[in-house]
Amino acid sequence: MTTVKLTIDGAEIVAESGLTILEVARRSDITIPTLCHVEGKASSDPCGVCVVEVAGQEELVYSCRTPAEQGMVITTTSDRIVAHRQKRLGVLAETHFGDCKAPCNLTCPGQINVQGYIAHVAKGQYEEALRLVMERNPLPFSVGRVCPRFCETRCRRILVDEPVSINHLKRFVADWCMSHEIQLDIPKEAHTGKRIAVIGGGPAGLTAAYYLTRKGHDVTIYEAASKLGGALRYGFLEFRIPRDVLDYEIDTILRLGISVKLNQRWGRDFTIQGLKDQGFSAVFLGTGVGVDIPLDVEGAFNPHVHKAGSYLRQVANGRNPDMGRRAAVIGGNNVAMEVARTLIRQGVDEVTVIYPRARIEMPAHQRNIREAVKEGAQFLLMASPVKISETGGEYSRLQLELVRMKLGEPDSRGNREPIPIEGTSNTIQVDSIVSSLGQIAVNDVFTGGELEESIQLSPRQTIQANPRSSQTNVDGVFAAGDAVSGPKSVIQAVVSARRAANNIDAYVMGADKEPAESRFNFSRGKAFDDVDLKNFDGVNVKLREKMPTRPPEICSQDFGEVKLGFTEKMARREAERCLSCGCSAFDRCDLKRLSIDNNVNINKTGMGTIPVYPTDASHAMIVVDRNKCVFCKRCELSCEYDALEVAAESLDDKGRPLGLTITFKDNCVSCGKCVDNCSTGALNKKAQIVPMQSEVITDVRSTCPYCGAGCQIILRVKGKTVMEVTADPHQAPNYGALCVKGRFGHEFIHSKERLTKPLIRKNNVLVEASWDEAYDYAARRLKDIKAMYGPDSIAGFSCARATNEENFLMQKFMRTSIGTNNIDHCARL
Amino acid sequence: MAISFGSGAMTNSIGDIRESEVIMVIGSNADTSHPTIGLRIHQAVKNGAKLLVVDPRRTAFADEADIWLRSNPGSDVALLNGMARVIIEEELWDKDFVEKRTENFEELEIVTAKYTPEMVEKITGISEEQLRAAARLYASPGKRCAIFYGMGLAHHASGTDNVKSVANLAMLCGKMGVAGGGVNPLRGQNNVQGACDMGALFNTLPGYSGLENDDVFDRYEKMWQVTLPRRKGKAATEVWDAILEDEIHGLYVFGEDPVLADPNAHHAVKALEKLNFMIVQDIFLTETAKMADVVFPAACYAEKDGTFTCTERRVQRVRKAVNPPGEAKPDWQIFKEFSQRMGYAMNYSKPEDVFDEVTQLMPQYGGITYARIEKEGLQWPCPTADHPGTPILHVGKFTQGRGLFIPEEYTAPTEMPDGEYPMILTTIRETPQYNFGSMTRQTPEIENLCPEAFAEINPEDALRIGLVDLDRVEVTSRRGSVRLRVKVTDKSQPGTVAIPYHFAEVPVNNLTLNSLDRLSRSPQYKICSVKVEKVAA
Repeated sequence: MTTVKLTIDGAEIVAESGLTILEVARRSDITIPTLCHVEGKASSDPCGVCVVEVAGQEELVYSCRTPAEQGMVITTTSDRIVAHRQKRLGVLAETHFGDCKAPCNLTCPGQINVQGYIAHVAKGQYEEALRLVMERNPLPFSVGRVCPRFCETRCRRILVDEPVSINHLKRFVADWCMSHEIQLDIPKEAHTGKRIAVIGGGPAGLTAAYYLTRKGHDVTIYEAASKLGGALRYGFLEFRIPRDVLDYEIDTILRLGISVKLNQRWGRDFTIQGLKDQGFSAVFLGTGVGVDIPLDVEGAFNPHVHKAGSYLRQVANGRNPDMGRRAAVIGGNNVAMEVARTLIRQGVDEVTVIYPRARIEMPAHQRNIREAVKEGAQFLLMASPVKISETGGEYSRLQLELVRMKLGEPDSRGNREPIPIEGTSNTIQVDSIVSSLGQIAVNDVFTGGELEESIQLSPRQTIQANPRSSQTNVDGVFAAGDAVSGPKSVIQAVVSARRAANNIDAYVMGADKEPAESRFNFSRGKAFDDVDLKNFDGVNVKLREKMPTRPPEICSQDFGEVKLGFTEKMARREAERCLSCGCSAFDRCDLKRLSIDNNVNINKTGMGTIPVYPTDASHAMIVVDRNKCVFCKRCELSCEYDALEVAAESLDDKGRPLGLTITFKDNCVSCGKCVDNCSTGALNKKAQIVPMQSEVITDVRSTCPYCGAGCQIILRVKGKTVMEVTADPHQAPNYGALCVKGRFGHEFIHSKERLTKPLIRKNNVLVEASWDEAYDYAARRLKDIKAMYGPDSIAGFSCARATNEENFLMQKFMRTSIGTNNIDHCARL
Repeated sequence: MAISFGSGAMTNSIGDIRESEVIMVIGSNADTSHPTIGLRIHQAVKNGAKLLVVDPRRTAFADEADIWLRSNPGSDVALLNGMARVIIEEELWDKDFVEKRTENFEELEIVTAKYTPEMVEKITGISEEQLRAAARLYASPGKRCAIFYGMGLAHHASGTDNVKSVANLAMLCGKMGVAGGGVNPLRGQNNVQGACDMGALFNTLPGYSGLENDDVFDRYEKMWQVTLPRRKGKAATEVWDAILEDEIHGLYVFGEDPVLADPNAHHAVKALEKLNFMIVQDIFLTETAKMADVVFPAACYAEKDGTFTCTERRVQRVRKAVNPPGEAKPDWQIFKEFSQRMGYAMNYSKPEDVFDEVTQLMPQYGGITYARIEKEGLQWPCPTADHPGTPILHVGKFTQGRGLFIPEEYTAPTEMPDGEYPMILTTIRETPQYNFGSMTRQTPEIENLCPEAFAEINPEDALRIGLVDLDRVEVTSRRGSVRLRVKVTDKSQPGTVAIPYHFAEVPVNNLTLNSLDRLSRSPQYKICSVKVEKVAA
């Protein structure tokens, strides 16, 4: 073998002669990025990404086709090279058309892989769907019931008919796993030995505890109430979040191994200093907004005038405050709607919500307002309380004096504040009043110790915490959730607490924070107006599934849940409505990876705006989206059967294809190698519809279970599910080649028809049994036969599909335990 | 092959295919049964290797072949003997090899002398000209010539005779023990090789030590602390008669579905109905499991650790990727626990412990450990810890010393077409499906690709019976009948009908014959006589 000596990036390399620069670099573990390269093949239209500098040569050279020669001095990165790569990638980006992530995913405050869990539902993988949700949201049961559903507002299906009922699907998978007693087995990192105190057992506290525990820390939750849940338990009553569901949800989190101290009020029973003295490395404050803003009108200090938070808490605790037959609710926020609906359930005949603006301007979510209206709440709008007095009577105990309001002149920002209309007083008579004017974290300052008192607060009486680091002004004390932001949705509390958990982890471990996920994203159109309707050619109108709901006149009589949840069939049908906007090649796209690596700014280069080509699903196993094709031809080059052709009618002035065709020839054997070699999402496996984003994917190398060729395969596992199967091009005996079975035929692993329990025939029917019963029964019968007819009256068939170890044990069993050579297998069958 | 060479495994390696100058494929449509191996053969042919195909069916190999012998079904021995005769007559044989490395050549010469081209043509339908061309191509002195065969050769009542005749031919031409040569059976299932190696056989202990070998028995008995039975056992295919004759009362079926798989399946069902007690251990409730008294739910390949040995004798790792569903357990664990209940303790905490025992007992595996095959499998024999494995068997010397020529006479298939059942049925595979479909048919896209069984029938026969594509027919043998649609194609030889066996709704083994090879006890899946009649859709 003759060799050449050359230098790459300063390293002296001796290489076999006759190789290209790219091959030499790869063998020396030097990465030169390429888009179109397939080992042993040369593209007719090189992508131009693999350029390098060779000393003494003016032009950059393509490393994939330049032979490595004696004495070459090669540089693989420089400003000039990067600029060239940027330019080449930019040209491709200009016309690349598709979404990296789906709009639902991008809109979700939690950045949940929404399309992913919907796809899991469509495939019947509910457990995996729930685990995927819980990667980013540990409260799927609650959020699945009360979320304002930011995602659904951006669902592209709106441009066809109605958005996908995303949140109902989230609730479905959570409920399904509960009713099927699924052990989620959520993974935890190695134990760190660090102790962290979480103050407050509501959405923020539970979330922080969940993620910190998953990071391997010892977490203790301190909760002032006698039960965990916080706002989930005391802000939403049973008809929104049933208690058994909430308890199950909390239990799912605690099962990770979290200590809980109940009835421990911060500042009274313990202090931050005390926690630090006990050895806690960090403290998380997730105390929420437990203080109601009081009603500031004359006569408000009256036993029949309640504050929303404390009223709901009383009812949640099973106390039944006397609210009489008529009640007024003052305020228009979400809590006010909960209060109105709770009053109706308590048997109050007439509930009136009083708000100084129009209904449309209420801060409550319109969906919540509609529910309250349906259940009989009345609204007295453009009115504001001025005075409360007692009537002295047994009924209509209170007299509430109101003033009519109108909207004033717009201020500098265009807001029109309501102002009283002089002389328009109006009086109503009620038995009780509940004010819901908003909530704050603390009245004055936190108390109990020096550190408590020193915690800086915002002007809105919430905790001041750095939005990036989650840190308060007290070292080692972090805060998140409503306690920082004021009242927000549960998912927003989850998001901020998740971020805080990551910050705390970095703080206690003295490590850098995990880098934020790149925001690089191709989009078919950021706003609805930008989305070309051609995207939906061939999509038929199919309205969303109707959530089974108890009629308002009945459900408002009790505290039972109003919305009953999707059935499995409904969930499957609803999941199938998903348009799967996001790219199923998210995890493997080289165009994205290289663009990020080389700082290509696609907002500057621009990207495709209309679908030039329809999606082609005519192949049995593969879906083709030519709009994503960058003409790298890796599919064609990697096809070992010469069964795929990528062609263009012509090329534009920048070398991009016009009139692109990707054709599977008649000799295609559906082995799918082209898909695994696609540099973008132009080729997709029909069955692999779950985009894989930041989830942990484990590659497990194994041997194909089909024919005797012994092909080496890689099982890509997420959670407990084999997502897809690929092969390593460098591994004998198949060197990356697989057949249609080897790459696609693995769905049987997760088949619902798999046997899950031992069976014993009783009264001529196979019934489920325990392993002990099955073993004992089988052993007794075999021993009886052996005793009566001798060992050769028993025969065994071994299995040519099972492992060597198992075949060995089977024959050993027959020869030792039974004592016969009546052992054979199906090799001849 | 074991008798001819001392080892019955593929003699060469898959990677070796690119070294071959001539490839003879007999009774294998590797494109459907071993697609990645088929691919390598096609690639070798594209790169200049000559291809000789013996197959009654027009396969993709047949289309590509330099010579395609469309011999009559079941006539392989006559054809191979005829080829040997031509090779001897034309002095194309490797005299040096035969002299130095083989014995019993004289016998071969005597037996094959009878197979004149005329006689061969009568039996096989192959003309003298084609026969001679094929013989010359395979013999090509000095060239590397490989033989690949599949179940098309073995699944006959004369299966072992076929195989011995192939071995004779390879030795005669000196194609053994060289890269790009050899005799290469393609194993049908992922671990047939391993199951045989491990002694899941009625006539040998692990490692092919026959039941008559006392030294080996002593070693096993010492290791296992038990007295082992030395009586010959019953082959799987003999068990049904044994049940019906009250010899066998209990059956332990591990991962098999004889109700669908066995030839003349009605016969098997009848036996199972009579059986006193049956355990089935499987991943699905198979047709056989439905008849069991106890069913043990097992883990599938992705749910356990272990090794498979593929057709090129390469021992490779299987790794656990996910948990088994519900309470299902890995088979090794079931054996361990059940054996305990039966009163014989098996102390293994993991599959690797079992493997270590295997390597202590079996010299072929002696040098293999999980650590050594972590990245890439090793090909046995690999007797010592520093042995690199054996890509090519019989280099310089046969495993048993000298190769033994065992000439066999042609015998006609047990059942041949007659007036009542005028056509030959042969069972085949489709690429996307596997065995009885319990695995592949769970993938919807594969089902779409290959959703139903079609009876493939030659245009001549179609015309005669009055059939067009997609007509519905009833195919009947003396043992049973199935209904399905037809595909009219010249892939099938005139007078034959081919039906894939993957589909439970078309249980084609209700038709096949349980006539067995006298040595290996392999059934004659590939030939039985049937009639084909059109029925209403």
